[in-house]
Formats: sequence, structure tokens, C-alpha cells
Amino acid sequence: MTKAEDREPVPDIDLMAYVDGTLPPEKVAEVEARLARDADARDAVAQWRHFDNVIHGAARSADAQPANLRIEALERQLAQKLQRRRRWAVLNGPGVRQIAASVVIFAAGWGAHAVYDRGASMVNGAYPAFVSQTLAGHYSYMLAAHESAEFPGDQMDDALAWLSAEMQQRIDSPQLERLGYQVESARLMVVDEVPVAVFYYRNPDDQRVTVSMTPREATQSDHALRVARVQDEHMAYWSSDSLNYVVVTSSEDVPITTLAAAVQR
Amino acid sequence: MSLKSELHTHVASLRRYALVLTRDPVAADDLVQETLVKAIAKADTFQHGTDLRPWLFRILHNTHISDLRRAKTRADAAADLPDPLARDCQHTQLELKQVLGALDQLPEAQRMPIILVALREMSYAEAARTLDVPLGTFMSRLGRGRAALRRIVQGVASGKLTLMQRKEGDA
Repeated sequence: MTKAEDREPVPDIDLMAYVDGTLPPEKVAEVEARLARDADARDAVAQWRHFDNVIHGAARSADAQPANLRIEALERQLAQKLQRRRRWAVLNGPGVRQIAASVVIFAAGWGAHAVYDRGASMVNGAYPAFVSQTLAGHYSYMLAAHESAEFPGDQMDDALAWLSAEMQQRIDSPQLERLGYQVESARLMVVDEVPVAVFYYRNPDDQRVTVSMTPREATQSDHALRVARVQDEHMAYWSSDSLNYVVVTSSEDVPITTLAAAVQR
Repeated sequence: MSLKSELHTHVASLRRYALVLTRDPVAADDLVQETLVKAIAKADTFQHGTDLRPWLFRILHNTHISDLRRAKTRADAAADLPDPLARDCQHTQLELKQVLGALDQLPEAQRMPIILVALREMSYAEAARTLDVPLGTFMSRLGRGRAALRRIVQGVASGKLTLMQRKEGDA
């Protein structure tokens, strides 16, 4: 770019946005009024649109090019790598770490003190099914072997509908918003073919709460609300008619029983 | 949208962008291939949650710039239009040659914003991220590029008019 060009005034940004269809609706009338009285602006808009259409048409001609097998193979390879990367990121994200932490708390709650040493044999031990699933999830986490799907916080309606369909029963929002938390994401983890719905919340003080739900087996015995604390984590777990619930947080501001009550409603 | 289908959509966009940048279908596919090879190599550093499209376009953009630097000069391929375009009517071809020829005369810094916006697949902010420049710089380059493109095309048109008038005078 020459110095002379550098000194040139930049063409009107509103006019460019008008051409590109990005002008806010409230400004469109203003620009159109200007175009009605300014022949040069009108000419500029017409020419920019023409250039844009010609370049767009040239670009679109790529769609008529024959398929390129090498590109398709590279595309598949990249998709696989990105998928692995995404899975890795999910499994190493703060939410899953919190779940992993909750597993340790679970284990402690049932008097198991050697989770890591005894490994997967504990999964089928003398624990409630949903604890076993969570334990299995923990080992899957360590082995990066389970699948997941994630929805951002602004897609909760879609998330709840999808989670309900996947878990074959109605999944309601934990609704911790009334306690000042905002949902960050919802996720489905599949552990030993058992779906686990996980919701991640955070409040303005950056304190996080994780809520997980797993289907309750017909043969599973009832579990009343229990709370536990290991190191800095607080946890509550219980079962309803159809679901098992776990709430985990490191927050001291809101008691774990209050969080559990909010989820139980 | 699944990652696979999202990526497929972006690769089609990359092919479009590359075709306008290189003006040669073979060179365009080579550029896309090189981009994907680099993306595969960088996939382990891809940040989960980052927008995939600007990431891929940025790799293509940087690859193209490196290729240009290696070649020292952009290939003079003004006449080598993609086949599908060559089948269009003569009027369209002339317009295409005129606009793409004028586009070739712009510095890369102005040419790329114009092409990215013409793809109609990104917001200004996304396109600015693709080129790794602040939004203000992007808008400035886009605006200056469009103004320069207009001057070049008008200059070519008035030159042709002068030539035609001269020929008519000679006759």
C-alpha cells in the first residue's frame, strides 16, 4: 500500500455495510435517503455490488469443479484428528475434572478408600448402580474412551429436548438460576452404555456447580439425600423415582443442601 | 451440525476462496491440499471452542502469502479462467476479466478483504480474524480496496472508450 493510499479517506463504512447487507435496520433508511440525493454514493454502491457479484460468481464456480479425491481424503483425516482433539478437550475440561473429583468423593462416601489402586474392579462392586456408572465414567475419563455431546448454555431448550430423547425420559433443567448461577453447558456422556446428563453452572463469583443425572434402574434401591465433603468439594446425591442425581461444588457461599433442594424442587 | 459436515462445508468454502485467489483450479486445489496438510499438523493445538472456519481460512491465507513470497510475484493467470466460467456468455467473461484483472492490481492487503467479503460466508469480524488484523484495519483495507478497484475499472473503461473514439476517428 502506498503512502498516498494511506492518506486517502476510508470510504463510508455505512455504505459498505449497506452493500454487504450488514447495516443495522435502523440505519438502512438513513443510508437510502442519502443515496437518493448523492449520485456519487449511488454510483459507488452500484459498482461495489457489481464487483462483489462478479467475485462471488467466480468463487461459486469452484462448486462445479470435479471432486478432488486427495482433498476428500485430507478432509476425512482432519475431521478424525479434530474429533480426537475435541474429545480430549472435553475430557480434560474443568467440568469433567469436577465429575472425576465427585467420583473420589462418591468412593469416599461409600467407604472406598483405594479407588485408584483397585481400578475398574470397583465398578461392579457393592455400590449403587449410579455410583458404579460414575466410577466407570471416571475410569473412562482416565482412558479417554467415552463419547459425549455438548450444548452451550444458550441452547438449553434444545439440550433438554435432546437429553430427554437420548435418556428416554423427561430431563428438566436443574434451574440453579434462582440461586444466582448461570448454566454454561449441558453434556451427555455415555458410560458403559448408560447415558449421564451433566449440567455445568457458574455464578458471578466464578464458583462452579456440576449437576449430573443418570437413569434409575427399576431394580435399584432407593437412596435418600446424602451429603459428603472431601477436601474442598461438597457433594450431595440421591435418587428419585426415575433418576439418580449428583450435585458437586467447591462453593462455600451456597450450602450444598440448598443447591440439592433447588435441583429437587 | 456434526464436525464432519461442518468441515465439509468449510472445505468447499476454502476451494472457492482459493480459486479466486489463484485464478487457476489446479493451483486452487493445490493450495487447499497444502492448507489441509498444515491443518492436520496443527490439529493437536486447535483450541476446543475456537471457530473452525477462521482458523482454516487463516492457514490458507498464510499459506498463500508464503507461496507468493516464494514465487516473488503472483502468477500472471489473467486469461486462465476456470472452465465453468469460460462457458458463460462473452459479456460475463469480459466483466469477469475486467473485475478480476483489476483485483489483481491491488495489493494483497486490500485484495483479500474484498474476496473474503464477496464469499458472503463470514462477518466482518470473522474475516478480520482470518487475516489476523484488527476490525478497524480490516474495514480500512476493504474500503480502500473497493475505492481503488473502482478507480482501476473506471480507468480501464475510459481507456477503452478513448481507444474506440480514436478508431472511429481514424475510420
